[in-house]
Amino acid sequence: MRTTPYALAIVAAVALATTAARRTEAQTPRPVRLTVRLAQDSIPSGSRAPIVRSEHLLGDGRWLSALRSGLPVRLHYTVEVWRSRGGWFDAFARQAEWDVVLRHEPLLDQYTVLTLVGERGQERRYATVDALTAALAFAYQVSVQPAEAGRYYYTASLEISTLSDSDLDELQRFLEGDLGDAAEDDNGVGGAVGRGATRFLLRLAGLPSLRLEVRSLSFQVR
Amino acid sequence: MRLTIGGLLLLLALPPLLRAQDSIIVIDPTLPPGDSAVVRAGPAPDVVADLLAFYNDSSTTRMQGDVSFPAGSEFTGRLALFRGSLRLAGRVRGDLVVINATLYLLPGADIQGDVLVVGGRMIRSPGVRHAGRQRVVWDAAPVLRSAAGTLVLRERRRPLGELATARTSFQTGRVRTTLLLATGGTYNRIEGLPIVFGPGFELRPSRASVARLELRGILRTAGEGARLSSDFGYGARAELRWPVAGIAGRFSSEVVPFEDQPLADSENGWSAFLLQRDYRDYFERRGGGGSAWVYPTPSLRLEVSLQRDQERSLRATDPWSLLRNSDRWRRNPLSDDGHYFTTGVSLDLDTRNDRDVPSAGWLLRARYEHSTSDDVAPVALPQTVRPPTPIGGGYQFDRLTLDLRRYSRLTQSVRLNTRLRADGWIGGDRLPVQRRISLGGPDLLPGYSFRSFTCAPRGFSDPARPALCDRSIVAQVEVRTRLSLNLGYRPRDRVSGAPGRFIGLEEADLVLLGDAGKAWLAGDGPGQVPVNRIPSFSEWNVDVGVGLDAGQIGAYLAKSLSEGEPVRFLVRLQRRF
Repeated sequence: MRTTPYALAIVAAVALATTAARRTEAQTPRPVRLTVRLAQDSIPSGSRAPIVRSEHLLGDGRWLSALRSGLPVRLHYTVEVWRSRGGWFDAFARQAEWDVVLRHEPLLDQYTVLTLVGERGQERRYATVDALTAALAFAYQVSVQPAEAGRYYYTASLEISTLSDSDLDELQRFLEGDLGDAAEDDNGVGGAVGRGATRFLLRLAGLPSLRLEVRSLSFQVR
Repeated sequence: MRLTIGGLLLLLALPPLLRAQDSIIVIDPTLPPGDSAVVRAGPAPDVVADLLAFYNDSSTTRMQGDVSFPAGSEFTGRLALFRGSLRLAGRVRGDLVVINATLYLLPGADIQGDVLVVGGRMIRSPGVRHAGRQRVVWDAAPVLRSAAGTLVLRERRRPLGELATARTSFQTGRVRTTLLLATGGTYNRIEGLPIVFGPGFELRPSRASVARLELRGILRTAGEGARLSSDFGYGARAELRWPVAGIAGRFSSEVVPFEDQPLADSENGWSAFLLQRDYRDYFERRGGGGSAWVYPTPSLRLEVSLQRDQERSLRATDPWSLLRNSDRWRRNPLSDDGHYFTTGVSLDLDTRNDRDVPSAGWLLRARYEHSTSDDVAPVALPQTVRPPTPIGGGYQFDRLTLDLRRYSRLTQSVRLNTRLRADGWIGGDRLPVQRRISLGGPDLLPGYSFRSFTCAPRGFSDPARPALCDRSIVAQVEVRTRLSLNLGYRPRDRVSGAPGRFIGLEEADLVLLGDAGKAWLAGDGPGQVPVNRIPSFSEWNVDVGVGLDAGQIGAYLAKSLSEGEPVRFLVRLQRRF
């Protein structure tokens, strides 16, 4: 087989380009990713639970930057159960949602992870970014498996945002043990103008927010 | 390894060398709630005691920050590191404790002793030798370094400071007291920016019940001026609430709007503050009332209420606005002053999957109210708008408000939202001015200008442009889909060149909208619709539009179909519905 100088040059150029591309890829932060998969089939009916995981959450630096700027970051997870209906729009069956609120305490240089499910929550602290990253890589298995026969799938969404003033207010009330419906005060004290102003400024200030949504494979419940 | 979170949240301590990839948190919404609202987890007390004893022992060598032990180095004795990282490639003969830091065991590292890492990870390379016990706890150790160089337990601070309002709470016996200073309501041409202040008291008679008493003073930054009392309002509210029911009473003097449209509270406040455009009208309500409610199911709320209030007209004042400050505010219409006794029944059904950004479910809000007054002083209105109102007793009317919304998802990315809203008189004498209705404006019919349809007869002139209709009905539909916009830029870090925070809007909903509605006077006169009829759809006013909704801000273009009005550009600071 004869190899021409042109062919060698092309191979070399491709090799260089590939190497450069790999270097660029290594330097480029990986985007946040949300995945949802089905737990192993362990129920006779075939119903399977969703397992949700977010990846590379602190990889691109903006959320870490927001945290270190003193802004709490909220991860709002939602899992919806949908029933497939051939030839017609799918039917929403039920959902589960939970929140994870991240905060950085600059005096201690620690990160607080507050996981909220309904009216319950749990707070943990991490002293290093490594530990925080590892903790955020937990997968969530959600017990929302459908029981009725049919073909189903799950959609999972993750909404990442910096906490707004009302969120902070509501979170504060929650942490203080007030389990009342904070929404009933929406139009009362607290100030709609002030609340709107803060949301508006938070939005325009370029503070990060992100929404991801994925869909699982379908499965059959017998 | 599995961690369980549900109505009850249980996170178990992480075992040594637990890898994140192996960890699953189980979310079970069906579990019953537990006793404690927030569980604050952390290292076990015996672990914290061990590390304190080890670190504070006078024979321990203490280090802080980022430390490296290169290959070939050797340390003998008790070694502790607080905050930072320890990169170990050499030999340690003795116990090692790493606190709120990361321990890197590099190839060639050799530890002959116990290892305890608290508040960080241990990252172990191949080729590491370790003879001894190993414990790793990711949770941060609640310790601080004292001036003497030893570690002490840190007092737990409150999780968040008071950031949204000036509010402080303290406990006295079984009563929790909260003092509040905040803005209340929204900016408007009657009050300016109302300031709310006062104490609130909370008592929990049992685990399932809460009793609250709130006493509020209201300072109006733009009062009428002539009367000192016009600069102040007040409110007192007491309630006893259980998970499925509650009762409440109120006693107040406050400024309330005639209609709850064409903009939401916050948007109307911004419009007034920035542009001197206040799209609402107001009256003063002074009196008291009570209500009782029950939740037969978590999504259904039924309420009955009784209230007796004195309602009186208010004059627009001249609060400051950022733009057009030299313009004059629109006059505030007169209301039918008097004492009103109102009985109401409300039904709220909410099966939406999300309160802020729903994509599935129903929302129904319905309210029927019957009001009477024996001393009403009606505003003079044309006979075609309202027959003479009985004065001196016996004035009574019935009103029904209905707002039905359906949120549905056609595909994973396309959503269809629909709404039907009806409001107005259904029986008795005709409505007082402060209960009357109009259409036109950003919320319900954005293709039409503010109060395009007030039912004012030809020749009737009032600079306040009061709403005079008896009834209205509006149907709205919108289709939404998510778009990637990337409107903005991402500056690069000056030193590293890495892409920084994106400034602008990355994503938004593309919204296609259509609205149709009609507001009318009920009766048999010319231009009126018979009492038992709804206008045929061909008589409704229709508009269509398109917009981009980025969450806290949205921009829309809307155009009426049934009238020759121009294309209107709107900015909304929240979802349409």
